[in-house]
Amino acid sequence: MQSEDEGEDSDDESDDGDYEPFPEIDPSSDSEDEEEDDNEDDEDEGEDEEDVSENDTEDEIKIGPRPKNIISDITGQPKRVYPEIDPDYDSDSSTEDTPNRVGDIPMHWYDDLPHIGYDINGKKVLRPARGDELDKFLETVEDPSAWTSAFDTNAQMDRPLTAEELDIIRRLQENENPDASYDPYEPTIEWFTGKGKEEVMPLSAAPEPKRRWVPSKWEKQKVMKIVRAIRQGRIVPNKPKTASAQPQFYAIWNEEPSTHPAPLPAPKPRLPTHAESYNPPEEYLPTPEERAQWEATEKEDRERDFLPQKYSALRLVPAYQQFIQERFSRQLDLYLAPRVQRVKLRIDPNSLVPKLPSPSSLKPFPVYKSLQVPHAGQRVRCVSVSPDGAWVVSGDESGVVRMWEVTIGKEVKRWTFPGKIGSVEWCPRTDVSFFVVGMEEKLHFIIPPNLPVSILIATQTLLAPANLPPPPSVPSPVKWVSMAASASTSDAPILSLDLPSSSGQAKQIVWHRRGDYLATVSSGENQAAVWIHQISRRHSQAPFKKVKGSVQLVLFHPTKPHFFVATQRFVRMYNLAEQKLLKTLQSGIRWISSMDVHPSGDHLIVGGYDRKLCWFDLELSDKPYKVLRYHSRALRSVHFHPTYPLFASSSDDGSIQIFHARVYNDLMTNPLIVPLKILRGHAVKDGLGVLQIRWCARQPWLVSAGADGEVAVWCS
Amino acid sequence: MASLTNGDASHPVVFTTQTPYPLPAQKFMIPASWKRYQLSQLVNKALSLPKPLPFDFLVRGEILRGTLGEWCAEKGVGEEETLDIEYFESVMPPQKMSSLPHEDWVASISCQTPGYFFTASYDGSLRVFDYSQKLLHTSAAHTAAATSLRVVPGSSAGKYLVVSSSHDLTARLTEISLPSSDAPESTQPSSRTLASLHLHTAPLSSVAADVSGARILTASWDSLIGIWDTEIPDTDEVPLEDVQGEGLERKKRRKVAETENAPRPKRKAPRGVLRSHTMRVSRVVFGRDNDGRTAYSCGFDSTVRTWDIENEVCTSTITASSKPFLDLALTPSGNSALAASSDRTVSQYDLRAATSSALAPSVATLMHPATPSCIAVPPADASASATSSSSEHQLLTGAYDGVVRLWDLRSTKSAVTAFKVWEDKPATARKVLSVDWAKGVVGVAGEGGVEVWRVGQGDRPFPSS
Repeated sequence: MQSEDEGEDSDDESDDGDYEPFPEIDPSSDSEDEEEDDNEDDEDEGEDEEDVSENDTEDEIKIGPRPKNIISDITGQPKRVYPEIDPDYDSDSSTEDTPNRVGDIPMHWYDDLPHIGYDINGKKVLRPARGDELDKFLETVEDPSAWTSAFDTNAQMDRPLTAEELDIIRRLQENENPDASYDPYEPTIEWFTGKGKEEVMPLSAAPEPKRRWVPSKWEKQKVMKIVRAIRQGRIVPNKPKTASAQPQFYAIWNEEPSTHPAPLPAPKPRLPTHAESYNPPEEYLPTPEERAQWEATEKEDRERDFLPQKYSALRLVPAYQQFIQERFSRQLDLYLAPRVQRVKLRIDPNSLVPKLPSPSSLKPFPVYKSLQVPHAGQRVRCVSVSPDGAWVVSGDESGVVRMWEVTIGKEVKRWTFPGKIGSVEWCPRTDVSFFVVGMEEKLHFIIPPNLPVSILIATQTLLAPANLPPPPSVPSPVKWVSMAASASTSDAPILSLDLPSSSGQAKQIVWHRRGDYLATVSSGENQAAVWIHQISRRHSQAPFKKVKGSVQLVLFHPTKPHFFVATQRFVRMYNLAEQKLLKTLQSGIRWISSMDVHPSGDHLIVGGYDRKLCWFDLELSDKPYKVLRYHSRALRSVHFHPTYPLFASSSDDGSIQIFHARVYNDLMTNPLIVPLKILRGHAVKDGLGVLQIRWCARQPWLVSAGADGEVAVWCS
Repeated sequence: MASLTNGDASHPVVFTTQTPYPLPAQKFMIPASWKRYQLSQLVNKALSLPKPLPFDFLVRGEILRGTLGEWCAEKGVGEEETLDIEYFESVMPPQKMSSLPHEDWVASISCQTPGYFFTASYDGSLRVFDYSQKLLHTSAAHTAAATSLRVVPGSSAGKYLVVSSSHDLTARLTEISLPSSDAPESTQPSSRTLASLHLHTAPLSSVAADVSGARILTASWDSLIGIWDTEIPDTDEVPLEDVQGEGLERKKRRKVAETENAPRPKRKAPRGVLRSHTMRVSRVVFGRDNDGRTAYSCGFDSTVRTWDIENEVCTSTITASSKPFLDLALTPSGNSALAASSDRTVSQYDLRAATSSALAPSVATLMHPATPSCIAVPPADASASATSSSSEHQLLTGAYDGVVRLWDLRSTKSAVTAFKVWEDKPATARKVLSVDWAKGVVGVAGEGGVEVWRVGQGDRPFPSS
């Protein structure tokens, strides 16, 4: 309480005493006085009260602490005693009254000692008794002023804070200036403004410079530059009002609210896991092998960019070295984050597979090998089924042509020719019955045995007429040789055609649907590879004077007078009546091996040695409608069933693949192609598999000729 | 009463039978570990038969192959359920009796005539063998492959009228005279082609003769069925085709005539033609009613047709779905037809329920691993069926894999027994083209010639060599 009063008093004093002179110190009495002070602290304080009252009265007379003359108890001499100095900011800390005079040293030096220092007289200051923790707690509970006390290390005891200290604490808490005497609202002291304080005398005696009244030359030059620009029209003084000059404010609520989705929230950084902890569980710590592996891997390949480390305390954790890198990558993440919400498509891969009907619903189609007709191990290059679907002729490379029943496989007739059989084909007519065998450069026309008499007569008169038709005006290099009808038997060919020599093997024979024309393709490379023969006129002609590329296959269109010619890469479609090229089909196949046209005439399938099968929609495009790559080796033969919606392809991999191929009359619906069955059973011999396949008319049966010398019938 | 349990799990079982060996209707407790052999022993003991008879057992229509417990486990039948087990005399394993070698394929065999085998071969010849494998006679009846052959019943002893069909578009009636058994040295076997039947414009596939021997049916690839009688006309009913190509045929025919040393066969015209099939007719048979008025035929157009021969109309049609039929046979009862088709099945069709409209579901389907080409049912005459009624459920099928299978229509899952023919030939050259079954003798004809097997219940009088 006393000190508070004194503080206030001293405040008043300090207000006035800015330039208060330091109190005089009497050097003579200094040492003595100081010694006395400690002993007579309590007395002094008691006397102070009186002093204050005296001071107040004499305040005006004397500034500063006044010495008091007292009679010393010890010496009996009068001495001057100064009042105690306030622990003000002005005061010297050295004047503080502390019993312990050890100074500002670490107090733990005295931890082991019974005293805590020495007083001014060199006597030990004993350590005050301190209670245990319970006492301290009880003190804090019992003493209401305990919370305003602090531990004084110098005295080793709790001291209640003084009012000034509490006031300083309060000011610091309230963000005020801790100096209570500071007044931020002092009245300003005018030094230069106001009456009588103006500057009367000039600061220098220099005359006024010329620039104060002469117009600036540089300004004039600048202005003249602008004027000249205005005159020359480089600067338009009054710019026409543009749209941008419209008022810049508008009613924001008039606009339609934006339909754009709200901007996406930034992607959230990944939350740390246990592994990122400074003190992770043991199981997260990497083993030495894992650590070595982590260090061995490239930085980009690491699964995570840190190794879990264990620290016993958080304060031991070093600075994070990757901080900049991490912040940078985070910025990159934000910068590169997608600005649109992308809906992740959850698509079942199976739903992308086109919906195809199940093969079992597309029955009948051949599924098994019903029987096999051996050809004594010779490669069977060609096979053909009679138009009534009852007989098969097959020819092999040793020159044997066999005719057998489809259902039983019993050979009923055999012909042997002195050369390789390249092709056999039945005449598609039903009023006559014969087939053509292409043996090297000859075509042999053979009448099968056991024919009804009427058909036999018709066939004989067709192939060996009694009176020959007039020879053509231009003699053809193809010779037609027939034996007399009466002398003809089924053992020998009734008619033979000699293709021009060196034209090579007749590798393909194809009939026009009416059975009057047949076209042959020879393997020779020269121009005379393709011949069209007309039975009724006994005349052969080469339809192409010049063909680009070597012709692989030819085909008659089933309904129109069109003619397909397949070279190695392209299929050309000619109109025979108008003798012009209709279109060129680009299959994309490197080397075409086989070709067949759908019975409707609108679709063409082309097989290639490069394992591809192309389906052309002739109405649609020159490019394939569909390319099927199901075989593992080169395709050898493709064939459409004449009545069933089936086609088959055979390959050098020894397999035959059956497809369901339904075409629709309307031009809008695409053909439906369903793979049905892979028939395996032919052996691959010398890299050759199934060389030719033919469907049986009227039944879903397939006849296949293989390089292993077997001809097989596949039944449904 | 009859408790046969020996600590094992057992099933209550009631035995039924259609054989003349019935058991009293009572429950037996049968151990689950019992097989056919123990069951058969049980039946034999219970009946106290003088001579033990092997039996086969049908559990709910299936022939028991493993133990009873295995069957129950497979079917999920509980232990408490009473099982009805039907038993019948089991089929003895077939035994090969003999083989009749042929140089060419044999298309058809008939063993309905006791003591002889008649075969039709692809070389156009008809051959007669006796039971001692001796070739009695060869008749070069056809100029092309013969496809089918039937012995017309009712011929006198020693003289057999044989009708055969061929690829040469005719069927022929051939009279073969064989020495009678009582006087073997009296006559040399000879044959004479009496008549040729001219109707078809495509190879013939089969012939049939009715029981009385008065009518003949021919089926052909040209979808026609011809009706003929067996009377031999005095003159040609069909004029000889006077054609350019006659030379060849005349030459051949002359050769035939020279070998047979007989006048040229008369050319017969059909009495009627049955036209309804749209594709090849593969088989025609007479009905079982013995009056020769009904006929059944099957063809590649997936139909089985019933014909009224008198009126020459098709009375009903069974249409199957894409099953080109290769062969047809009637069950001994005559109520259902068995048809083999090229989709490797033999289907049973109920002829009584046949309608001509919708697709007819088959009663039973026998699955084969190869194309079944021929069907034979056991002979239906009284002497054969007297001993056993189980034969009416049996049939034989021959397939292109060279296996002849014996089926029981009550158990269609798998064949009762099977035997392989021509095992010395390669697997692709064992096609069976015809089987015929008469009185325990089964003739199997095909690619490898003819083999004769004995199939049947128990031991029968069989004049083996």
